[in-house]
Amino acid sequence: MRLAIGRRDSAAVVAAVTVGYLLAYLWATGDLSLRTGVAPGVLVIDDPLGRLFARTGPASFGAIATVDTGIVRLLLSPVNVAIGAIVAGLVGINLGMTYLAVRRPTACGIGAGSGLLASVPALLSGTVCCGPVVLLAIGVQATAVVLTAFVWLLPIGVALLLASLAYVATKIDPGRPIES
Amino acid sequence: MVQIDRRSLLGALGVGMSSVSGCLGSSDVGAESGSITDSSDGSTGSAVEGPPTVGRSLPAAYTAAELEAATRSGGPPPDGIPAIEDPQFAEATDPPALLDGGDPVFGVVLDGEAKAYPQSVLVWHEIVNDAIAGTPVSVTYCPLTGTAQGFYRGETTFGVSGQLINANLVMFDRATEEWWPQMLATRITGDDPGDHLEEFRVVWTTWERWRSAHPETVVLTDDTGFARNYGSDPYGGYNPRSGYYAGGSFLFPPLTEDNRLAPKTVVIGMRSANGAVAVRKETLREERVIEFDLGGVRHAAVYDEPLDTGYVYRSGDAPESDGTDSVDLETATLSWEDGDVVVDGAVHAPDSLPFEREIVFDAMWFAWYGYYPMTDLHR
Repeated sequence: MRLAIGRRDSAAVVAAVTVGYLLAYLWATGDLSLRTGVAPGVLVIDDPLGRLFARTGPASFGAIATVDTGIVRLLLSPVNVAIGAIVAGLVGINLGMTYLAVRRPTACGIGAGSGLLASVPALLSGTVCCGPVVLLAIGVQATAVVLTAFVWLLPIGVALLLASLAYVATKIDPGRPIES
Repeated sequence: MVQIDRRSLLGALGVGMSSVSGCLGSSDVGAESGSITDSSDGSTGSAVEGPPTVGRSLPAAYTAAELEAATRSGGPPPDGIPAIEDPQFAEATDPPALLDGGDPVFGVVLDGEAKAYPQSVLVWHEIVNDAIAGTPVSVTYCPLTGTAQGFYRGETTFGVSGQLINANLVMFDRATEEWWPQMLATRITGDDPGDHLEEFRVVWTTWERWRSAHPETVVLTDDTGFARNYGSDPYGGYNPRSGYYAGGSFLFPPLTEDNRLAPKTVVIGMRSANGAVAVRKETLREERVIEFDLGGVRHAAVYDEPLDTGYVYRSGDAPESDGTDSVDLETATLSWEDGDVVVDGAVHAPDSLPFEREIVFDAMWFAWYGYYPMTDLHR
């Protein structure tokens, strides 16, 4: 990790990817959406602390507030944001490492995008309402096997990201100069 | 500018999901569902009185054990889709800003009190535990089967179990925690299953039609106590019809299939001791009056133009009939005239013919046939 954030350029990659992935994660879970024509404002539900951990899916939790900016709407679920931030951070560090690997090809022998592929399962783990809505887009029926897979998407994604991180870290020589 | 929406992104990423899911073996999905003990309203489930039941005979193609075995997790845990426990209403003259005239609402009139429940709100909650004219009721909606139904609930409340049968909502009552599939209105778990809920009519119509027919109505608002993206349907849209509601694909497979109609075709379904019948809604719109025999008993389906809905009657006096103008449906002549139904020369509104009126509700064909494969179909 120190490798990825120790340099200004790779740190920028980590930050950009982390923020971008978190936004994509919240979008995929339905917590973040475009919503124009609604006046900016924040609406907090009654008993937000009591509903903080109310699960809406295998790895998703109910929102306790609605944040409207006039352009986008965020259904604020602190637990979803925390989960998304953890995954996003792992993705960011992975891609930061990958960035270094690409910049130093002689040190690696790994392909770019390994961290990105590992991030896909977690991104797809978002479920909402009655059944995994992502299946509507994919056109796959929610069989028992697929639903079981959904339950495991988030932990699989995190595990893949950690494995990818460990693998990439062993392939990078921090002492080698950057090739232009 | 190219606009990329969430569905497009997820669709593009679908290959990755499929490959991952294909690597995993089968396991007990239901194990993720948890126990139905932590109701969202904080009730303890200590009461022992379940919802009131009625003695009635309904057609059944499956045993309770078969239905329970066919249950599958829809993804959310019990109460993961939270029922509305403290519904708030607005006057018809001051409806929710997001409610368009063409949006679907589920209308109820009980003891002279009219209420409308927007589909756009119920799609996020599926159950409203309400009281109408002082009577405790639950108005329920399953997005995947397109069914809106009303039940008397007594002192208990209903919650969303997170389980599905035939793609249909499985409710549980918080007093006994037993399962009640919505369309069947029947208990399928616990000792001696088979109790039937008492139902009332819920009309699937549009806000504009309902408000015109019932100007005194109140309408459920999105002040539900929950933060949800009201106005954005996760499955598609009804105004106009799109997404899941318009496509032919299933999200969850039905119990059994039939290809006489496209799966999402809307039928008006009725089941009683005489059997089950489905009338294609579009056909009823065109023909206005459809007479048929069911279980050897004469029935008539009639169209209600102002609400774009239908009613089904069978032989027998209407409960409120004083008997002075008793008419036998077996021999009566019915005809359509300017929106009313003429019965042996007497004019009646479509919702008040002088016969026994059955409970009916709109449903997607695949869901109706899945539960009632013995059904007669008028297409």
